[in-house]
Amino acid sequence: MGEVIVVTSGKGGVGKTTTSANIGTGLAAAGHKVVLVDTDIGLRNLDVVMGLENRIVYDLVDVTSGNCRLKQALIKDKRFANLFLLPAAQTKDKTAVNPEQMKVLAAELKAEFDYAIIDCPAGIEQGFRNAIAGADRAIVVCTPEVSAVRDADRIIGLLEAAELRNPKLIINRIRPEMVKRGDMMDISDILDILAVELIGVVPEDESIVISTNRGEPAVMDKTSKAGEAYRRITKRITGEEVPLMNLDVPIGIMDRLKRLVGLR
Amino acid sequence: MTRTEHVALKGTRDGLVLYFDPAADFGVLMNELDKLLKNSVQLLQGASVRCYSGKKEFTEDEHAGLETILKKRQLELTGWLTPEEVGVPGKSQSYATQDKETRIWEEGMEEGSCLFVERTLRSGKSVQFDGHVVVLGDVNPGAEIIATGNIAVLGSLRGVAHAGATGERKASVSAYHLAPTQLRIADVVTRGPADEADGRGPEIARIKDDQLIVESAGVKSWRGKAR
Repeated sequence: MGEVIVVTSGKGGVGKTTTSANIGTGLAAAGHKVVLVDTDIGLRNLDVVMGLENRIVYDLVDVTSGNCRLKQALIKDKRFANLFLLPAAQTKDKTAVNPEQMKVLAAELKAEFDYAIIDCPAGIEQGFRNAIAGADRAIVVCTPEVSAVRDADRIIGLLEAAELRNPKLIINRIRPEMVKRGDMMDISDILDILAVELIGVVPEDESIVISTNRGEPAVMDKTSKAGEAYRRITKRITGEEVPLMNLDVPIGIMDRLKRLVGLR
Repeated sequence: MTRTEHVALKGTRDGLVLYFDPAADFGVLMNELDKLLKNSVQLLQGASVRCYSGKKEFTEDEHAGLETILKKRQLELTGWLTPEEVGVPGKSQSYATQDKETRIWEEGMEEGSCLFVERTLRSGKSVQFDGHVVVLGDVNPGAEIIATGNIAVLGSLRGVAHAGATGERKASVSAYHLAPTQLRIADVVTRGPADEADGRGPEIARIKDDQLIVESAGVKSWRGKAR
């Protein structure tokens, strides 16, 4: 029996799709049988990030409305034979699916796969309710911005109301040098408000933009810092205990002196 | 208490009471009731409700309609109150004044009914209560508490708090860490501090000479998450 994990955030643009793609790919690379489900009906992206756009024949709505069988809609990944994508419909909207149908779909996916990663759309309306309907666990993605934290807080509240307790938090696109200068919220500021368990911190990384455009998740790129962060998150999802990535900026000699005399 | 133009929902010691404006049209009442319940449904689910509509009698159809709406929100209609029970002589008085007569200020700001919220209130959550409210947890930005009595937060208060919401100026707001987005007591409104000084410890806000004053709660033994 597999597990359904929803990746959500409330706010748009914080990296839900990138996170879903990377976690899914990372889990598949570790040998698990994984399916990625894009629930952002009408604004599908996950297929593009995975580089599978040109293989879509059937989609999520076709499956839930009975136009095709689940197997027909699943697209096998380019790199891993144990990774599949269930794409969202592009020509419909969020109301084309309801939470009951998603629960049925989730049960079907659980029987077949080790992990089903559900990429949730932004917002708290029907798309969100669909995405969380069949989920067992939730991962909340948040960037170190006040607005993203506010939305994440709301989302955590809604998840708890929907009986999805103890969601895990990923802090995405953090810039250690800005945090150090005091220009960006640091991890403890965010945890202070959200009070949930942190499962990973992903640094801002240009390689994400490159890999997203290429349709190749950064988690496979051994030189990418964000990729390394996602590899650790993947391990943590499977229950392994790995330390958070070291994001410290190299310390200058003045800092060291200050520290020595106790100024900081 | 929550209310719209013609409908008010109020918590009393004997359970929830719905007040309908006797002069308003039934359709209007039901519309407003539906809206009112939609906004506060999570807080109320499963509760039983009694209704009051002055001397106006509802027809059977209207009665059934009302029950359907309540049932939809998982509320149970347990009976009707007579004007005598509510303590209003005659229907010439509107429900607005009825509220005033039954509200808790006869008990002062030291006693009265109290709501314990045993969790953190996250953004988007709203707690409204006719009495005092104690939160065992934080009140995050984007959450709000509206109470006719005092508000105490055993954690960080970063959201909006309105104590003495029906005009009681003796009400207070206190928290281990008092850094609200906005603080209201009765009719006085202030914004929170712009720069957040850490570790000031527990504080209490109340009205003094028409101004909202924040002072240290002055209890040395208050410890815990004071930031």
